[in-house]
Amino acid sequence: MKTRVLLVDDEQQFVEQLSERLKFRDYDVSICFSGEEAVENIKQYIYDVVILDVSMPGIDGNKALKRIKELRPLTEVIMLTGHATVESAIDGMKQGAFDYLMKPCDTNELIAKINNARQRKTEQEERIRAAKAKRYSTSPWSALEDK
Amino acid sequence: MNPETEKTLAFYGRMTANLTHEFKNILAIIQESAGLMEDIMAVAPLSKEKYQERFNNSMTTIKNQLQRGMQLATRFNKFAHAPDHASDELDLGETVEHFCTLTERFARLKHISLEADTREIKLTTNPLLLYMALFYSLDSCLSVLPAKSSISMAASENSGKPVIEIECAGKDAPAAPQFFTKLRESSAWKELEDTAAQLGASLECAENDLRFCLFF
Repeated sequence: MKTRVLLVDDEQQFVEQLSERLKFRDYDVSICFSGEEAVENIKQYIYDVVILDVSMPGIDGNKALKRIKELRPLTEVIMLTGHATVESAIDGMKQGAFDYLMKPCDTNELIAKINNARQRKTEQEERIRAAKAKRYSTSPWSALEDK
Repeated sequence: MNPETEKTLAFYGRMTANLTHEFKNILAIIQESAGLMEDIMAVAPLSKEKYQERFNNSMTTIKNQLQRGMQLATRFNKFAHAPDHASDELDLGETVEHFCTLTERFARLKHISLEADTREIKLTTNPLLLYMALFYSLDSCLSVLPAKSSISMAASENSGKPVIEIECAGKDAPAAPQFFTKLRESSAWKELEDTAAQLGASLECAENDLRFCLFF
């Protein structure tokens, strides 16, 4: 299954060009131009990885990250920052971001981080599945409780 | 460090951080566009026609971003030279227009539009203090206005004397009395009053409109 990636940045052309490049590499890419739009989108669709710009109009990247993590705790978020200081990105890491990158970033580095983020999400999902399976085997009725 | 130097450095810090952020955005777009062209070139021999349009789009994006970057760099350079002379003859209209280009991102981050409406007007003044006055005017408006508002900065003349007129609008913007009450409470407005006094300009607010002027 292709890795589902959501790109969020208010620089429209940047998002469009990067999206094309990721599609070339066989990623399933969606795009949003604001934090608000991203949060609304994430309510409807599930992504493996979100690439989120820190500095955007309206709700900024860190606020959007908080909402995304509330809605989809397993979705991994990579923060993009244009700031020379990485404080804002570090704030994001404290709130559960997988990693951060400085803009303009090296595409190969970004792809490596997306793949690592997807890997972590898959492992988390497998751990949850294993934990559920263990619970069901010891207490079959819990399967009904989960529904 | 004396308070004046501290104030000037803080102003330069905010302007420079904002502009370098814009340059990074431009470079990021150019990098991805060039990268996409590289990707296309790698597959083009097999399906050249299929990717021709995308290749051309990337080329156009690069050209547009280079133009955006060059315009910003030229205006940034002029701004960086503002402290060179304590007094200099400048074109007020051009300075207002350049200022709006350099600070458009501050407004954009608040979903507010910023426009310059200018014409050529000669003025001999302190260029650095003039930029600071424009900055505090904008900063005070941004601290009061809600999203989807607009700010227009115009250079004009009144009885042969240069004027900078700042006009705000927006359906959710506060009415004039509340607007000016909030504006006067902002720290940027206090800085604007000090800077206007240093420039020898008078600051006047309209009674019924969201508009204020700096008379030189």
